[in-house]
Amino acid sequence: MLADFPYYIAAWIFLCGLYGIVRSRHLVHTVICLTILQSSTYVLLLAIGFRAGGYAPVFAGISPGVVTVDPVVQSLMLTDIVVETTVVALLLAMVVKAFEKGGTTSPDDLRFMRG
Amino acid sequence: MPSPALLIVIPLIVAGFLEGFRKLIPRWLADLVSVLTGLNNFVLASAWTIHALARTQVYWFGDWYPRGHMALGIGFVMDGAGCAVAALTGLLATLSLLYSWKYAEHGGGHYHPLMLVFLGAMSGFAVTGDLFNMFVFFELMSTAAFALCGLKTQEPAPLAGAFNFAVTNTVAAFMMLTGIGMLYSTTGALNLAQIGLLLTGRHDRLVLAAFVFLMTGFLVKAAAVPFHFWLPDAHAVAPTSVCVLFSGIMVPFGLFGAMRVYATVFQGSFAPTQVHWLFVGSGAVTALWGGMMCFAEHHVKRMLAFSTISHTGLMTLAFGLWSKDALTGLFLYLVAHGLIKAALFFTAGILLHRFRTISEPALFGRGKALPWTAVLWMLGGLGLAAAPGFALYAGEARVTSRAPWTEGIFLIAGVLTGGAVIRVGLRVFYGIGDRGPTDKSAEVDETPETDADSQRIPWFLFFPPLLCIGTAVALTFWPAFTNAAYSSAVRFLDFRSYAHAVYASATAMKMLTAAKEPLEPDLLFGLLRAGLAAGLAVWAVQHLKVPRRLRWPSHLEGSMDPVRSLQSGHPGDYVAWLTVGFAILGAAAFWLGI
Amino acid sequence: MSEKRRLLLFLAGAVGLAAIYTAGILNMPAWGTYRGPYGDVIAGLVVFQRHATDVVNAITYDYRGFDTLGEEFILFSAVTGVTLLLRPESEEKKKKFEEGENPASFQDRAALSETVQVFTTAMFGFSVLFGIYIGTHGQLTPGGGFQGGLIVAAAPMLLYVAENTEAFERIISHPIADFLESVGASAYALIGVGALALGLPFLTNMLPLGTTGDIFSSGTIALISACVGLEVAAAFMGLTYEYLREILSRSRNEED
Repeated sequence: MLADFPYYIAAWIFLCGLYGIVRSRHLVHTVICLTILQSSTYVLLLAIGFRAGGYAPVFAGISPGVVTVDPVVQSLMLTDIVVETTVVALLLAMVVKAFEKGGTTSPDDLRFMRG
Repeated sequence: MPSPALLIVIPLIVAGFLEGFRKLIPRWLADLVSVLTGLNNFVLASAWTIHALARTQVYWFGDWYPRGHMALGIGFVMDGAGCAVAALTGLLATLSLLYSWKYAEHGGGHYHPLMLVFLGAMSGFAVTGDLFNMFVFFELMSTAAFALCGLKTQEPAPLAGAFNFAVTNTVAAFMMLTGIGMLYSTTGALNLAQIGLLLTGRHDRLVLAAFVFLMTGFLVKAAAVPFHFWLPDAHAVAPTSVCVLFSGIMVPFGLFGAMRVYATVFQGSFAPTQVHWLFVGSGAVTALWGGMMCFAEHHVKRMLAFSTISHTGLMTLAFGLWSKDALTGLFLYLVAHGLIKAALFFTAGILLHRFRTISEPALFGRGKALPWTAVLWMLGGLGLAAAPGFALYAGEARVTSRAPWTEGIFLIAGVLTGGAVIRVGLRVFYGIGDRGPTDKSAEVDETPETDADSQRIPWFLFFPPLLCIGTAVALTFWPAFTNAAYSSAVRFLDFRSYAHAVYASATAMKMLTAAKEPLEPDLLFGLLRAGLAAGLAVWAVQHLKVPRRLRWPSHLEGSMDPVRSLQSGHPGDYVAWLTVGFAILGAAAFWLGI
Repeated sequence: MSEKRRLLLFLAGAVGLAAIYTAGILNMPAWGTYRGPYGDVIAGLVVFQRHATDVVNAITYDYRGFDTLGEEFILFSAVTGVTLLLRPESEEKKKKFEEGENPASFQDRAALSETVQVFTTAMFGFSVLFGIYIGTHGQLTPGGGFQGGLIVAAAPMLLYVAENTEAFERIISHPIADFLESVGASAYALIGVGALALGLPFLTNMLPLGTTGDIFSSGTIALISACVGLEVAAAFMGLTYEYLREILSRSRNEED
């Protein structure tokens, strides 16, 4: 069980991120907690692709027959990181605008939508 | 047949150019180009639907054909259901872009590119055969939606709605990705057919956990209770044409995604009877809750949003039944609901354009100047109640034909949602009764989206809802449509032929015949439903003439505050409910599945 | 809902979520024993089929290139969304911004030592060069469009740190960035359409593959990588500019 440590870390990070969103008192903090959730999925996926003793999947310098770790998850994560950063930027733009219009960054004051 | 890639790629390329040259392109050109792109998508997808009904065709990107049973690249599986939903997307997108011609706020030229990206993403989501590709289109659809939701930035309210929408849906996306990771760890595959084949017969805890993660992600998008809180907030603040796409396509897509993943990946692991109750239960609760909250609303767009929640719940119920008739009914319902809901939103937009408000009490009696708009609205209300003559009615009848006990849920949901719409119609367009209770949500008013002279209703505001209602009625009387839905449903249920098509690439499937039993829906029941909805509306509106003890509709309308306060607008609340919903779904799945 | 009630609700759900996640983990293959065929098969094929040595990039831009196209458009939508949200409200405010000066807080700071300023400004050139290097060598070694583009986009920050705000503003507000961002996204799709024009499925690698280890190898992988790099760099510079403009316009507009 201890050998699966990275997976448990991923689960813990996921829970931390959710906890942060629920307890957040500042909208920017909420957005950063989303980033934390994101990290949890990266840790999970990269841990899944790991192979003990495997080389990096780049054949410049090692011969093509060598055992490597999984390149597919790395590819998925690579694009995802950059892309989610921009989505976070979009959310932060919403926060900036909400502050400009409403003068507040507290989630409690988002209750314009009450009811 | 032209490449299916064009369904996604043409809108995306056009979006890129419209955005890059936005300072040079005049408004009319941007409008024209977007409408034409949408129309092109509709025509292409329809052609593909007809082609796909004869044989499911698979298209591999990058020329990467599978090696044995291993898919190397990404494949599109063009089956009847997916192509038809893509065609509906194209139609509604074209009408939305037509609707926003010239006058609608266009956000400095960013509106058209975002709408086209939205269109492309949804088309891709409908027909993809790869799990991670599905996730990518889910994210693309969501990001375009978040941006479009925040189009009207003059007030703080749109930002709150967009923010809550974004936070909840992003959490859902990461849950989906976690599920995908879990499946990948054990199967090493990302292709739907391949995973399905590898998981056949396995129902250990990993598969169940992945199932819960994936389904939660999709159900958040489908706004099932208790994941639904983001929907009314988002709909209340998004521009009308965007709401049309949200309610008509995006939300049912959450359900479609769940269905697609279940039909391919999980069908070999869980017998339908095991997960049946999960979706039937979720659907029933959502349908009833949505209907109740719908009737209690006085902000017209939020009311329509709750009705979407309710009807998507009914579709989830049909999904849970997992039979040929249920799925046929589901597909009919999906198309019909999309059309009717679109018509209602378009009409609400006309009211907003003309009277600069969208709150029921404020609009009281002012709609008398719009007799034809009134007709459209009332027809929409009857359609939602699944009155005879509307395709929704045919869909509902098919679902309940084999499961008569669901009749009651359809009845209540239809009467509540249809009744709410008719109630609004009676008050706004005919000035019957009194203004009704005012509440805080109706006070949070919407800024008008158009800046033109609001005395006239231009033809392009009226034509889309007219076409939608007309199509919803016409489809009932067109047998080919029902047959197509039946063939799609049968094909959708059959994983073996799906896998066969994927690996043998473009095999000919045997021609499916029409539905075995032409169904005669119970006309009496349909009329009863329509009558009850209208009756409920009249009862609510004339509440002063009714003895106090019998004023139930007014209670439903006016005193739901404790329940309505759950819709608090606080993202932390919504995510807490999301987590609880996940736990409930998980507990139910584990209990049923093991 | 009160904070306490919300927390209790969440904790109830979190217990369930943790239990389900753990149940999943317990049944996953042990860490470090990746056995799935997908990665291995592709790793075995890449050098021979595509003459590329970086497997990850080959997957990103070729085997699963369609995913990356979608991801690139997510980037596009998000940047468009930010531009949409932070757009100037009226022509009047826009004019005031364009004609205004940098606020006092930008100018009056205690000057950085000259060493820091010179060094940071010199690093700018190096960063851009490094970014271009990473971006163009993706098919050979770890790197590629996304990474290279980000490094190039982050380079102007060095100018900001060196307090050369005029140059900073001038670079990131250049109209070409805006144009490149949108058209760059379409360019990726157009390369795919190029394959369609040849009668091949979308995004097929139809350019000559060259020799392994050469910079001009692996066909469309290198080309797509370069397009993506341009787009990502332009997108992030545009994002920085939007945020900067938001701050500056608020202070310049307040000056009246």
